[in-house]
Amino acid sequence: MTTTAGKGRASARLWTSVPWRALAPVVVLAALCIALGLAADNFATAGNFARIATSAAVPAVLATGVTLVILMGGIDLSVEGAMAVAAVVAALVLVAAPGALGAVAAAFAALAAGAALGAVSGAIHVGLRAPSFMVTLGTWFIGLGLAVWLVGGGTVSVRDSELRVLALVRLGGLPLSVWVALGTVLIAWVLQSRTRLGRALFAVGGGEDLAAQSGVPVGRVKVAAFALAGLCYGLGAVLAVAQLGQGNAEIGTGRLFAAVSAAVVGGTSLLGGHGGVLHSLVGVLVVVVLSNGMILLGVPPYLQQAVQGLLIIIAVAVSLDRRGQGLVK
Amino acid sequence: MTLWRQVPGGLIRRRTLLQGMAGLAAVGAMGRPARAQDMPTLVNSIRSLSNPYHATWNQGGEAFAAAIGAPYVTLVTEGDSEKGIADIRAILQKTGGNAVINVDPNDAPDARPIVEACVQAGAHVLTQWNKPADLHPWDFNPNYVSHVSFDGVEYGGRTAQVLIDAIGGSGGIVALGGILSNTAAIDRRTGLEATLAANPNVELLDFQVADWQSGKAFDTTSAWLTRFGPDIKGIWAANDDMAIGALEALRAEGLQGQIPITGIDGIQTAVEAVRAGEMTATVFWDPFWQGAMGLSIPYHARTGTFDPAAEPPEHREFYGSATVVTTENAESFYAEHIAATPQLDFEDLWGRVSGQIRQS
Repeated sequence: MTTTAGKGRASARLWTSVPWRALAPVVVLAALCIALGLAADNFATAGNFARIATSAAVPAVLATGVTLVILMGGIDLSVEGAMAVAAVVAALVLVAAPGALGAVAAAFAALAAGAALGAVSGAIHVGLRAPSFMVTLGTWFIGLGLAVWLVGGGTVSVRDSELRVLALVRLGGLPLSVWVALGTVLIAWVLQSRTRLGRALFAVGGGEDLAAQSGVPVGRVKVAAFALAGLCYGLGAVLAVAQLGQGNAEIGTGRLFAAVSAAVVGGTSLLGGHGGVLHSLVGVLVVVVLSNGMILLGVPPYLQQAVQGLLIIIAVAVSLDRRGQGLVK
Repeated sequence: MTLWRQVPGGLIRRRTLLQGMAGLAAVGAMGRPARAQDMPTLVNSIRSLSNPYHATWNQGGEAFAAAIGAPYVTLVTEGDSEKGIADIRAILQKTGGNAVINVDPNDAPDARPIVEACVQAGAHVLTQWNKPADLHPWDFNPNYVSHVSFDGVEYGGRTAQVLIDAIGGSGGIVALGGILSNTAAIDRRTGLEATLAANPNVELLDFQVADWQSGKAFDTTSAWLTRFGPDIKGIWAANDDMAIGALEALRAEGLQGQIPITGIDGIQTAVEAVRAGEMTATVFWDPFWQGAMGLSIPYHARTGTFDPAAEPPEHREFYGSATVVTTENAESFYAEHIAATPQLDFEDLWGRVSGQIRQS
């Protein structure tokens, strides 16, 4: 009698001890993959997984950057502007300096441009105590304006540049860009979970006042997070230029929504303090697998966006921690 | 219906920044010396300078203004109809109506208030791409000089035919469309479908929307390679940016040059791809011509070279001629339009009229 009740309680304890909410995105991804594997013959093939990984590389790098900012309770809207300016800078350097050395220089120039724009966002956000939403909205347009000014609105073709090895050379069946993206996520994960800066990000996201009182240099942490995020957007631009063989101010168009929704779908809280870059990687995969699957299934174009919107709502509903939240806004 | 509606509208607009740029341009024009006093101010009102198409349009305007020595102003709407109309009213006010205006209205309904404001101020105006079907230049003589458009149905169909010829008249093709509600996207798709109807041996395997954008076209084409594999014999794209996305998705798998691709718009990367034999065709609208001749035609009406009221309807509402760039003419086209600054005869007002616009 007592033993059965004890067993029941134990299994109930086991059930509740599993962090379902944190695992929800992984479950969603797994369910999506199984469903698509059953519905579409070609989904679960090596070729298709390689294509999914290729499509996920740029969004994964961008989502990593956005996640660092979201973790500390901010938001970064400058993704598309930073990408535009970094892509244009990369393309211009490639045209001016051909060859392998030029490609390396172009990549570094793009990273520097992205990081600089991010640092500017962070510095204004901290220095003027302006909301990150408005500041990064501004730097989005500044980045875009710079990009337009640099190329006069044109497209710079870099079809034959050495930078393209990132997209065209494969290692283990996957383009180098996929490995670069994985490496970036890994580095960001180490940074987030194993360094003082990482702990400070969570501390600021959990409660800025408390973090400041505990001696966290909130201002410096914020500037560093925005600069690192900008670095990621610069890298995203490098991968996109390598992939598409051209650089223009439009290269980032539509990427902000994908990056932020991937972070949210992955379970990173927009309020800050919860989630992380691995969550966002899962989120990116959910978004990319879904759009791949919808094309394999022949879902009509006008339904695809609606399905993606629905997915975001479902993911948020499943993964949101509502405890201790008196007010939902 | 501009081709460039793909820039994110909605929530956030880039207007603030470009408003500043337009303001600077206007100040620059105002500050010109007295020789410009009798010359009308030349105004190009376009969507933005951030896309190659309108940037080239602007260069055409600058070239014409430099040729006749008139002050020149660029106005950008950034997808905002209100701003587009307000900026034109402001420039009419500043110039006292001594202006020649070439406008690509942000949306069809905008053309009416713009035309009415110009007529009232005594300026001369030419509209391109967008206008309501019941707004006609001949109802506003002599100030509303002409309306110019390009036949998306025709060129969507012609690129489809080039594609079908390239695959030998039979097999499966896939198609990448622009934003669904966009008139240019609808027209070009209509042309594609008309050509498909005339070629019963060609099957449209799938039609997807890639929002005019290369990144999205890349992902869509990758997924198609999974779904259809070698059944894809050709790829039709409603613009060049998407065609480039499709081409690069093929290149990622070593398939570039093996599957014919067509685009529309004539951007540099696409022209280079056609030269390299990796794309089969693109269509060049010649935005340089649109920016220059869109000013030259109303300018010549204003200065009395011709009387708009005496011109036939096919000079008042006409389709311009575009160039279909294929592997055959790619080299000469590249030399004339991309490698060098385009040379235009600004006096050849009606040389590119290819028929009166269909009344729907």
